[in-house]
Amino acid sequence: MSCNYTEKVSSLIDGELSAAEARDIERHLLNCAECEQQRADFLNLRRQIASFETSLQPTVQNRALRKILSVDRRAPAHGFQWGFNTQALAFTTLLIVGAIIGLVLYQTSSTGDPEKQQVAIQSPSPAPESSIKKPSTTESPESSKDQPAPSKNNKETTTPKRSAPARRPPAREPKPGEQFAAIPEPVRSADSETMTAMHFEKAERLLLAFKNVRLNEPGAATNVGYERKRAKELVYQNMMLRREADAAGDVQIASLLENLEPILLDIANLPARPDQDSVRVIRERVERKNIVALLRVNHMALARALD
Amino acid sequence: MASEDEEFTMLFQDFYPSLCRFLECLLGGRAPLAQDLAQESFLQLHRTAWGNLPAGEARFWLYRVARNMAINEFRKSNTRYRLFDRVVETMRPRSRNPEQEYEAQERQSLVLKMLQTLPEDQRAALLLREQEQLTYREIGQVLNVSESKVKVDIFRARASLRERWGKQEQKFRVQPSGCSSSRQAKA
Repeated sequence: MSCNYTEKVSSLIDGELSAAEARDIERHLLNCAECEQQRADFLNLRRQIASFETSLQPTVQNRALRKILSVDRRAPAHGFQWGFNTQALAFTTLLIVGAIIGLVLYQTSSTGDPEKQQVAIQSPSPAPESSIKKPSTTESPESSKDQPAPSKNNKETTTPKRSAPARRPPAREPKPGEQFAAIPEPVRSADSETMTAMHFEKAERLLLAFKNVRLNEPGAATNVGYERKRAKELVYQNMMLRREADAAGDVQIASLLENLEPILLDIANLPARPDQDSVRVIRERVERKNIVALLRVNHMALARALD
Repeated sequence: MASEDEEFTMLFQDFYPSLCRFLECLLGGRAPLAQDLAQESFLQLHRTAWGNLPAGEARFWLYRVARNMAINEFRKSNTRYRLFDRVVETMRPRSRNPEQEYEAQERQSLVLKMLQTLPEDQRAALLLREQEQLTYREIGQVLNVSESKVKVDIFRARASLRERWGKQEQKFRVQPSGCSSSRQAKA
């Protein structure tokens, strides 16, 4: 179709052109065989499309009219009403079935026996033999054996110990035939992590102070008294935290505490007037194991995690 | 109320067959579905819009609703009605002799096949023009598009059909009296 009038021909046969435009096109058609052919083809298409006969039967038409007139105008259309109800029913059924399945799954997956759960929560020691014991027997000997007698001086270390076990998340209920501590609880509570961070900070300060003890001066041994006292306080806390870290499966914290523990014990067990060699040996061990840096890194990491 | 029903009946008798034909061509020959949709359109008109529409608007409203329903049907399964349509077509009473009936069926089938090659908006515009003799403005009103788009759509539909017509009519061995004979004469 190279002629510019081809689109106008379509409008011409539809009577959509103005009188002047129609005259122009008619005049053009007298001279353009292509557009004349196009008009003939368009008109033939019109005949074919317009002569299409529907297969509608009069009985069907009358039946449709009767059906329409019999429907109350205020009532919703039958087809739409049925479609809506079907969809709503299907949706409601789906919701109910989903809720039932969810309930069943929740009941099967959740912990069932509250008494056993209470045992798991209150058990401070992850060792299998201690976890099997009842709460009254596990709580008191551990605390009486490991913890020092509460004094006015170590309030800050004893206070968090009391609150930590009560706020620990519930432990998984052991299945029949399975020991409780076989799979350690992987999540540690925020309290124990806070205590660990504080403990690392205190231990770091202690080791730094111990490192700075002046050995060349004649009265050096008397300056170790403060470090001994702090080390004694921290040893017990270190034991508790190491056990908790072991129970939680936190290998990194547990190993760090394990390395720290003998150093704290050695400092705590220094004689009242230690010689310079004993102090130097402990210092060398601290430096060799790079404990101070590890304490600082872990303390900062825990603090960031808690923030 | 009685006069309203009488008016509605007159409208129904006037436009129900043409609405069925429009839908049948739009849907590609699914006559029972076209009749169902036409009935549903009239039902909606009777239930909701009848009496609220201005005079002369009911026809355009009907075609607009019917076309929307047809578009919804395009999105549904295309195979649901085919078997039923064939059964209905087979059982349809024949008024002409077999040869005439065969020729008419072939021509109808060819028209439907040709129309199905067009995009839906072009097909609807062309059908409203050729079968219902609506103006471009009225077609734009029904299809909710501008007059200029209607003009372009109709022209493109015609040009597309004209191009395909020769090949298809040879394929189906139908001899329409129009373009093919004139083209052959020209050649």
